[in-house]
Amino acid sequence: MNLASKTVLQHRKKLSGYKLQEQRMGYLFILPFAVGFLIFQAAPAVFSFVLSLTNMHFMSNVSNLKFIGLQNFVELFHDGEVMRALGRSFLYSVIYVPVIVLFGLLLAALINSRIYARGAIRTALFMPYISNMVAIAIVWSVILDYRDGPINNILRSCGCKNPPMWLMGEHTVLPTIVLIAVWQGVGLYMVTYLAALQNVPRELYEAATLDGAGAFQKFRNITVPLISPTTFFLVITAIINSFQNFGIIQVLTQGGPGEASTTMAISVYKASFVQYRMGYATAQAMLLFVLILIFTMIQWKGQKRWVNYE
Amino acid sequence: MNNSKKIKINMPSVLLTVLAVFMACCCIFPFLFMLSSSFKPQGQVFEYPIRLIPQHPILSNYRTLFSRDQMFGQWYANTILMTLLTLLIKTFIICITAYAFAKLNFKGKNFIFIIFLSALMIPGDVTLVQRYVVYKHLHLTNTMWALILPASFDMYFVFMMRQFFMGIPNALTEVAIIDGCSHFKIFYKIMLPLAKPAILTMILFSFVWQWNDYTNPYIFITDTSKQMLTVGLTMFQISQVNNYAVQMAGATLALLPIIVAYLFLQKYFVEGIATSGMKG
Repeated sequence: MNLASKTVLQHRKKLSGYKLQEQRMGYLFILPFAVGFLIFQAAPAVFSFVLSLTNMHFMSNVSNLKFIGLQNFVELFHDGEVMRALGRSFLYSVIYVPVIVLFGLLLAALINSRIYARGAIRTALFMPYISNMVAIAIVWSVILDYRDGPINNILRSCGCKNPPMWLMGEHTVLPTIVLIAVWQGVGLYMVTYLAALQNVPRELYEAATLDGAGAFQKFRNITVPLISPTTFFLVITAIINSFQNFGIIQVLTQGGPGEASTTMAISVYKASFVQYRMGYATAQAMLLFVLILIFTMIQWKGQKRWVNYE
Repeated sequence: MNNSKKIKINMPSVLLTVLAVFMACCCIFPFLFMLSSSFKPQGQVFEYPIRLIPQHPILSNYRTLFSRDQMFGQWYANTILMTLLTLLIKTFIICITAYAFAKLNFKGKNFIFIIFLSALMIPGDVTLVQRYVVYKHLHLTNTMWALILPASFDMYFVFMMRQFFMGIPNALTEVAIIDGCSHFKIFYKIMLPLAKPAILTMILFSFVWQWNDYTNPYIFITDTSKQMLTVGLTMFQISQVNNYAVQMAGATLALLPIIVAYLFLQKYFVEGIATSGMKG
């Protein structure tokens, strides 16, 4: 009896020792990440509030910054170039988000249906996602070359007299960039959807078949609602990613021709690293961030109406 | 007759397969076009109808890349070193952080986790300027550390690895605790080996993202000799203006390691996404 209680006591002591050790280990383990987070993520984020209220110039030191209040924000709302860039960013997102989500779903449904050589096809469809933006840009600008590119050559031999200008055309440039961005990114949406489709219980389809439902009806009434959480997740991801288009535009057109593909991300870059107006550029970036936040929040609020959680 | 073995050919399946193959071709045609152009003289890149197998394959485009007045080899070496260092540091940091959030109890854990998580809401392009100012004051700009360090503190993978660690039953660690194992030993000897598939997925995605990154080296690295492959390729576009064949050779070499890794380890890419609900 005595011996037993002694060992229990010992165990308790040991366990409380472990609890303490656990606390210490916990803090120790997250310490490196916390430091890195503060320097590389929190500091720039907090800094943007400060910077957007100053007249900071590329060469100036932080020590001789001048606070100019909301002047940058007042200026940018009167800046036609910035406002047009904002419009293009919207246009880009409005095309990009539905197209990539829808295409991802269609490809996933296609792969998930009874087809031959599924593995090889899936491998091919995901390949653009892992490849390099710059390499892609080089290849696509050759393929879509207005004069000699293979696409326009094919169009001409099919009798099309005025094939599109693609990246060189003022009106075609933005949709073309979106097309390339979707081509590159859709693999991820497909694979994510594929996982969701495979989680839909088979019995539901079997029951629906017995009730005489057709393939399209089954897709509409069973598949779409059941994968709606994935759709929601992908729409949010797509919105955030759609505003993140600096890389692809810079390598494809650098915002041209003229300013026809200058979106907010490019405008921020130009303001800071071409005009050297860091303060003004940060104010533009803040505007962009607030817009992304609003978009995401609208989605978040709206999810109750169409997302089914089990 | 041989046809006695009834081969059931399902018409809808055939049609769907044709459609899927067409889509797949759209996805790989640019790669085949790139590969074949890189073995052609410049004059034949635009020939029509397109010939995917060059008539007389040549290697001179690749030779141009590595000739003495080009820095292609240097950029390649920079990118390899930068990517390797990132993977090393990142894997270590992410694993210990994710493990702590998943399996250790400490005060304020959930609060800290949510603060970290909120960083995922901010797209990188939005903080480009501010990051430049911060890195410049830390004297990180124009060194590869400006690319390595920020990539190492990636909350996205902390989240993914935490989910994975949480899936490992606590019973395993409890037994080890009673046996007198220290927390570090539990992490190192029990958890890490179990997490191998998840770690591999993380390494592969990080490899692809870091190797392919264009924006960060473009903004943070200024010396041509310290530049990375992606940005180097765009410089090539400027210096070899109309020599598309040489550009294609450069693009091919830039993609090579990634595509090889993908073809051999694609299981970890695709399944990694499926199990962790990955995003881009």
